[in-house]
Amino acid sequence: MPDALATEAGHLGMPALALCDRGGVYGAVRLHMAAKEAGIRALVGCELPMEDGTALPVLAATQAGYRNLCGLLTTANLRAPKGEGSVAWYELAAGNEGLVALTGDEHGPLRRAWRTRGCAAAAEAGLRLREIFGDERLYVELQRHLVPEEVEENEFLVDWARGAGLPLLATNGVLYATAEARRVADVFTCLREHTSLDAAGRLLEANSERALKGAAEMAELFADLPEAIANTSRLAARLEFTMADLGYRFPDFPVPEGEDQNSYLCKMTYLGAQQRYGSVEGAVRRQLDHELELIGKLGFAGYFLIVWDLCVFTRSRGILVQGRGSAANSAVCYALGITAVDPIAGKLLFERFLSEGRTDWPDIDLDLPSEGRREEVIQEVYRRYGRRGAAMTANVITFRGRSAMREVGKVLGLPDDVLDRFSSLFHSGDFPQSLQLEEQLRGAGIPPEHPRFRALVDTCRQVHGLPRHLGQHSGGMVLSAGTLDQFVPLENARMPGRSVLQWDKSDCEDMGLVKVDLLGLGMMAVLQDSLAICAERGQPVDLAHLPKDDAATFKLIQEADTVGVFQIESRAQMATLPRMKPATFYDLAIEVAIVRPGPIHGEAVNPYLQRRAGLAPVTYPDERMRPILERTLGVVLFQEQILRIAMELGGFSAAEADELRRAIGFTRSPERMQRMDARLRAALRRNNVGEEAIAHILKSLASFALYGFPESHALSFALIAYASAWLKVHRPAAFYAALLNNQPMGFYSAATLVQDARRRGVQTLPVCVQLSDALCRVETDQAIRLGLLSVHGVRAAAVRTLLEERRQRLFTSLADLLRRTDFTATERRSLAGAGAFNALAGHRRAALWKVEEVHEGDDLFRHAALQQDSSPGPLAPMQPLERVQADYAHLSLTTGAHPMKLLRAQMPDLWPAAELARAQPGTLVKIGGAVITRQRPGTAKGVCFITIEDETGLANAIVRPQLFEDSRMVINLEPALVITGRVQNERGVVHVLAESIAPLTGGGLPQQGSHDYH
Amino acid sequence: MNYAVLLVRNFSLNALRRADPALAAKAVALIEGEGRRATVVEVSPEAVGVAPGITAPLAMARCPGILLRQRDPVAESEAGRLLLAVAFTLSPRVEATGPGWVTVDLQGADAARTEGQMRCCVAELATAGLPVRIGAADTPHLASCAARCAQPVLVVRNSAAFLGPLPLAFAEPTPGQAAVLQGWGIHTLGDLTALPKAEIGQRLGTDGVRLWERAAGETTRPLRLTEPAKRFGAEWTYEPPIESMEPLLFRLRRFAECVALELRAEAFVAEKLTLTLLLEDETDYRRELRLPEPGADVDGWMRVFQAHLETVRTVARVVGARLVATPCRPARKQGGLFDAGLRDAAAYWENLARLGALVGEGRVGTPVLHDTHRPDAVLLEKPADAVPLPEAPPVHPPRGLALRRFRPAWAARVQLAGTRPVRVDSGLVAGEVRATQGPWLSSGDWWKPDAWAVEVWQVELEQGGLYQLAHSAEGWCVEGELD
Repeated sequence: MPDALATEAGHLGMPALALCDRGGVYGAVRLHMAAKEAGIRALVGCELPMEDGTALPVLAATQAGYRNLCGLLTTANLRAPKGEGSVAWYELAAGNEGLVALTGDEHGPLRRAWRTRGCAAAAEAGLRLREIFGDERLYVELQRHLVPEEVEENEFLVDWARGAGLPLLATNGVLYATAEARRVADVFTCLREHTSLDAAGRLLEANSERALKGAAEMAELFADLPEAIANTSRLAARLEFTMADLGYRFPDFPVPEGEDQNSYLCKMTYLGAQQRYGSVEGAVRRQLDHELELIGKLGFAGYFLIVWDLCVFTRSRGILVQGRGSAANSAVCYALGITAVDPIAGKLLFERFLSEGRTDWPDIDLDLPSEGRREEVIQEVYRRYGRRGAAMTANVITFRGRSAMREVGKVLGLPDDVLDRFSSLFHSGDFPQSLQLEEQLRGAGIPPEHPRFRALVDTCRQVHGLPRHLGQHSGGMVLSAGTLDQFVPLENARMPGRSVLQWDKSDCEDMGLVKVDLLGLGMMAVLQDSLAICAERGQPVDLAHLPKDDAATFKLIQEADTVGVFQIESRAQMATLPRMKPATFYDLAIEVAIVRPGPIHGEAVNPYLQRRAGLAPVTYPDERMRPILERTLGVVLFQEQILRIAMELGGFSAAEADELRRAIGFTRSPERMQRMDARLRAALRRNNVGEEAIAHILKSLASFALYGFPESHALSFALIAYASAWLKVHRPAAFYAALLNNQPMGFYSAATLVQDARRRGVQTLPVCVQLSDALCRVETDQAIRLGLLSVHGVRAAAVRTLLEERRQRLFTSLADLLRRTDFTATERRSLAGAGAFNALAGHRRAALWKVEEVHEGDDLFRHAALQQDSSPGPLAPMQPLERVQADYAHLSLTTGAHPMKLLRAQMPDLWPAAELARAQPGTLVKIGGAVITRQRPGTAKGVCFITIEDETGLANAIVRPQLFEDSRMVINLEPALVITGRVQNERGVVHVLAESIAPLTGGGLPQQGSHDYH
Repeated sequence: MNYAVLLVRNFSLNALRRADPALAAKAVALIEGEGRRATVVEVSPEAVGVAPGITAPLAMARCPGILLRQRDPVAESEAGRLLLAVAFTLSPRVEATGPGWVTVDLQGADAARTEGQMRCCVAELATAGLPVRIGAADTPHLASCAARCAQPVLVVRNSAAFLGPLPLAFAEPTPGQAAVLQGWGIHTLGDLTALPKAEIGQRLGTDGVRLWERAAGETTRPLRLTEPAKRFGAEWTYEPPIESMEPLLFRLRRFAECVALELRAEAFVAEKLTLTLLLEDETDYRRELRLPEPGADVDGWMRVFQAHLETVRTVARVVGARLVATPCRPARKQGGLFDAGLRDAAAYWENLARLGALVGEGRVGTPVLHDTHRPDAVLLEKPADAVPLPEAPPVHPPRGLALRRFRPAWAARVQLAGTRPVRVDSGLVAGEVRATQGPWLSSGDWWKPDAWAVEVWQVELEQGGLYQLAHSAEGWCVEGELD
């Protein structure tokens, strides 16, 4: 890891360190940042993957060199599949200005040639490098790893260098910071070569000598060649370029003649404010002027205009868009229509978004409907800025518990069944575990006496957290003036039509690269579709003008009837809603924010709920905090509150507060957080804040570092949550139809949503070839019709043909339909099995009988038999349980009775979920049904929460850590469970505290999807 | 009752349990596939809650102590031979229909006597650890259905009444047919035969018609008969018991000639020979001798016997001997123009057998460098049947002095100045160090309990002589001399 290298280099007293990743500058930023901390100079380089399979190390001497490097890598990467790009020698010859080359290690062109083809070939390879880089910019690299084979090779290199008049350069071909990490290098070698440690042989390192070595050690190693050591300092001095000289610039917005970026932003803001506020006076004007002045001063006007223009484009395409995050603190964003929350009315803290002295760019995140419509916007950005002018931010996927164990275990030669058992026992979302790794391994069948136990444990720990591969950020796009590949190499993403840059979000932020987050939100798509359905049915809804105090909506929320509602549908949210009883929009924002690791760790949840219920008095740690914490009853719930406390009680400037914000969000560096903690503590003491209050504030600060919501973000999400709840109450049919059409999303499967709809009086009608559209459609205010695409395996093209034919003329019989459509045999069976042909065939079995008459591949006569026969066939209709099973097989849901209803008679001792609220607390009950969620949040100290569904609703069970460990496999693997336990009822929140858990087997219960450990 | 079927349900699992006594009375499941996709295919009755088709992790969840095993082809082969052998006691016309499934043609046999014999077969196989069921009926298919329902013997006399309630799977539908019929709600053979045959033909084609006919018990077929395995062997006794090798070899040659003749008559050769010496104390001495090349050449066999028997010392006198040849078809191959085969394969293998008998099996082979950084690590590999072609010369030929290794290396005491050796003392070499080269460091196998690390130096002593020293966890040693 670059951080470890920088730290070790600092310890060794090195003045500079160059990092040469293969095929990229992936670690350059992290090295740069860590080197700053360590007080060393980070140099930028790369091992260029050449077309002949060799790897040529080059170093950026100047900014031009760095840009050439990025360009070479981008060209190589964009023309090849991910990870397979290579640089052609002629490209290097054409674009190497400002680059210095080394001859490389055993993978370099010189040594590779010497090893495989001898001295003459090596000299030839060297000659080519000389022709490209000349004598001034080429160094002959010598490495001594204390293996005998290197003697002869180094002798050749020295002789050749002297003969050619080239300088020698001593390096250590460093692969890891310290010798202990050699085993990680060995493991990664095995993973790369798809082998095991036992079989890897000489692919592994001979010893641990490829760690960083200090100046004295290197000097001793090369005592016979002092010039090779001296040249390292000379070369470092030659390399002027560091990442501080990146020279990145955000693109300007093309403004009309006579305008500049600032004046045009000002004009557009006032125009928007006029529409938002009616008149721009008083507080509104003051706030806008303040913000515009600051934006102008910081030079961010172009950024606001570009985001605004993107929103304008998005809306012009009829796509819903809403800014979220700290941008919602800005009145300018609100006026420009980027965000939907009025920060002036909400008294939001602008400094959370932007402040004087801030050097990094503000962060504007746009929520868009997920999938295709978001992609439209992304592609528009590519269209505007070009494939080399914009790219998605990378996301570094690291080794976590299960992946580390699987990969290391595989390399160590552990049997698959043991690794499978580990994976089954310890779900990835299930960490942090309540068991130590040693105990987990024992549970998976690897006792401590196992000869490789220690190696496994130690190596897993070493590997944990290291990068595994580079993914793509969910929506962060980086733009630049000119082409982006001058600043960072780009490569193809796995997704067609997308390119990704080599740095992650934090790296981009550190380098000042401006990112616009185009985030896909399933609920935005649901809202968009709901609005379209409502408009189509003559019941239009204006989201911007929904009444914010709708009693029926708040009743639904208070009763936790929130399946399908944005943000407040999870089990934890549902368990809080009846206690919180949100009654205003702001309450809803608090509800959204409160069930988060930050407030839970900060122990803010219960005090707030108790104060809200009047069970505890509202107090303030310091009376001066009253205006800041009044709205949250004296409890710190939002990031903004921490920042205001720091500013108002601690005397922090806006810039210092911004630094504090960054420290909270910067999870990579606990040291940074500790420094801020100390500074805030000292500042609060200076301002006579009591020790108890300081402790309280710092505890809140620490918990926000885990994960807390800014108030503006909570308000933005609350808007969507409220809109979805309102739709669920007032336009339920449209809402459920849109939800079903956007699956998978949210917390619950389509099967659960259909059952929830039924409980709220909306019937889901079966799929029907005479009545259904491609997608789910609202038939009446109380009924939705499943779409034809709900049937598994049915092609959209075949459905289009059916709809087209039906538009021209309704089908008169199943034979008529089969003749006029082109469904495959499998599709015909699926449609018949799902009951889609019932309107034409009478019942499913009759349809299944009939569709088999058509033979595949016999074009001329394939429908001959169909014309003659219109009898229903000899098969008996399906029984109710058979129908449910067929529904689940073909639709993964049933429009009929819940499967548990059919099994209820066989299991008379099971309590229906809806009846649990009537049970006396402490009563021993048995509940059973399909598991729809399993959760084991880190905040719950090993407790597992299971939600099961029956025909009457949802029942929640709490499983204590010991019982969870005892029943881990049954809980994780069984699709349906019977849970015996005692009823708990706390202010309407009902749980069953599990005492025993068993699989619910038999009876033909179909398997239902579940949402686990997210 | 024209046909009988002997069927061992869960054959692979039962064969495995028969071969491994540790699995007796344990919850065992046989799995197929690898990793998380492995699924249970056969289950022992003790594995409560586990059914074929579920995943291996789910089986572990439902039955915590369950033992999961893969198929064992050797155990299955042995069990299969046993089943066939018993089947041949019912009739000489036997078909090895599938794993654990044998069909016997009983046409012309006495029905009453055969039913009794079938019960004897069940008892005999049960004693040998194979739970068999036997069904008898008018057609092979009906007999196989009967065998699947038998407890343990079932003779079907009214086929329509017998077949009607049986599950559809008894008609062996293809997965595609099964899916269609399941959709139709067809669960039994009776359900299927209740549908018009012609309509089935229209929908499922000729395969569907054949399925319908199987369900109705209308199909029959000729058996693909198998022959009893011909045993190529001989057994004899010595009266009085013998104590020396000559009489043994003498008679061994006689019988070997006979066995070789039999083999050749059937166009077989021997792949391996199993020699058993029956001893006076009622024990025996048994050895399996693999031949250098499959053949029926008695002289070659005798060289192998002689090489092996030279070193054998039995605890009691030999009262008899048994020779069994494992037959195989002679290999036919055309030698390559440049193949460097062994000139006398028999002599080569004979010598190897002799060496193996002297130093122990596993200690004879061709040394090859082990693919590791560990110095001087070699593996013994089974000698190649042909002399390998010479490798291409190395790009950089070895240079400098050659190391003559001392085996074993000489333990030494080494004095250091810093990390550098300055004096060496061992039994045969001692002196001040004039010059050094090194160290060369290597380490490996860190993931094993026997992880190693070696530091190597090359030294020149004051009084002359170049030596290689090594330092490891065992201390210093002189590894060899450079000359």
